[in-house]
Amino acid sequence: MSEHEHKPAPMVEEVSDFEILEMAVRELAIAKGLFSAEDHRIWTEYVHSLGPTPAAHLVAKAWLDPEFKKLAVEDGVEASKAVGVDWVLSPPTQFGTPSDYCNLRVLEDTQTVKHVVVCTLCSCYPRPVLGQSPEWYRTPNYRRRLVRWPRQVLTEFGLQLPSDVEIRVADSNQKTRYMVLPVRPEGTEGWTEDQLAEIVTRDCLIGVAVPKPGVTSNVKWNVHKAVHPVEHH
Amino acid sequence: MAITYHDNSDDPSEWQDTEPTPIGLLERVRDHGRVWGDLAAKYGVTNPDPPWKVTLEATCDMLAADSCIVPYEEVDRNTCALPSLERRAEEDDLSTTIYADVPYPERQLLALAHSMIKHGLFDEHELADQMKDVEGRLTGV
Repeated sequence: MSEHEHKPAPMVEEVSDFEILEMAVRELAIAKGLFSAEDHRIWTEYVHSLGPTPAAHLVAKAWLDPEFKKLAVEDGVEASKAVGVDWVLSPPTQFGTPSDYCNLRVLEDTQTVKHVVVCTLCSCYPRPVLGQSPEWYRTPNYRRRLVRWPRQVLTEFGLQLPSDVEIRVADSNQKTRYMVLPVRPEGTEGWTEDQLAEIVTRDCLIGVAVPKPGVTSNVKWNVHKAVHPVEHH
Repeated sequence: MAITYHDNSDDPSEWQDTEPTPIGLLERVRDHGRVWGDLAAKYGVTNPDPPWKVTLEATCDMLAADSCIVPYEEVDRNTCALPSLERRAEEDDLSTTIYADVPYPERQLLALAHSMIKHGLFDEHELADQMKDVEGRLTGV
C-alpha cells in the first residue's frame, strides 16, 4: 500500500434489528400511501443538509454589524436570508417545512438578561438554522425542569450566572421558534465572521452555554430520566 | 429572578391515553436489537448517530405533515397520518415505561412503530412481514 493511500473510515459491518425496523416502517408507510418514496427521499436530503452553521453565522454577523443585529432581532426570518436560509423557499416544499415554517425570533442577551430556549410540549426547534435538536432537548427532564428551575439546570450545563442576571425562558410552539443571540465575549476583538462563528456553538444558540474564545464544542450533558414526567391530559 | 413563560396554546383535549401494552414484535427488537452505541464502539465508528436516524426524522416529518404549525384541534386527519404533538407525547409516555431502558434514537424508533400500530396505520403482522423482507434483502448478499 502506498503511503499516500488513505485508510478507509471504519464502518459497522452488521445489520441491526433497529436498522431493519426503520426501513420496514418507512417502506410500509410508503406502501400504505401515507407518503411517497420520492417525497421522503427529497425530504431526507433536506434534513441531512441542516445544521447549526447558519445560526452561528447569523450571530457572528450581528456581532459585527449593528444594523444587521437590529434586523435579526426585529425579523429573524428576514435576517436568516443573509446566512443562506429562506424559511419559505429553502425547503423542498417551496412553502416552508411542515414543522418549521413559522416565526423565528432572535432573543438578544445582554449583560443582565440571559435567554434560554425550550419546548415544554414536545421538541419544537428552529431546524432550518440549527439542524436537529440534541437528545437532551427532547427529554421531559430538561423540558419540565428548565421552566421551574432555570438557574439550576443551567448550572448543570456548567453555566453559572451571577445572581443579578435575569434568566428568561422562551417556550417554543407551533407558531414561533427561538434562537439566542448571546453577548459577544471579550477577547474576540478584530475577529472575522468565520472566527466568531466557530465559537457560537449549538448550546450557545439554545442558551445553555455562552461563547468563549477557544471553546468550539458543546457540553456533554448526561440524560437523566425525569422523576415526575410530563403528563399529557 | 423573573421567568418569561410562553404557554403553548395547544389544548389536546382529544388526547388518547398512550397504550403502554407491549407489542411482541417490538419487544423482540428491543430485547435482541443491537443499539448504535454498541455497534459503533465495536467497529470503531465515531459518528454519534446511526445512519438511519436522518431517515427516521424524515419519516416522522412526512407523517406529521403540517401538524406542527397549526393548533392541534385544526389538524387535518385526512392529510396528517400521525400528528407530531401526539407522536411526541406518546414517545414521552413510552420512553418512561416499556422503552425506558432503550437509548435514543432507538427509543424514538420503537415509539414511532408502536404509535403507528396503535393508530392502525399498519398492524404487527404486516410489520413483521416487512421486516423479514428487509432483512432478506440486507443480509442476502
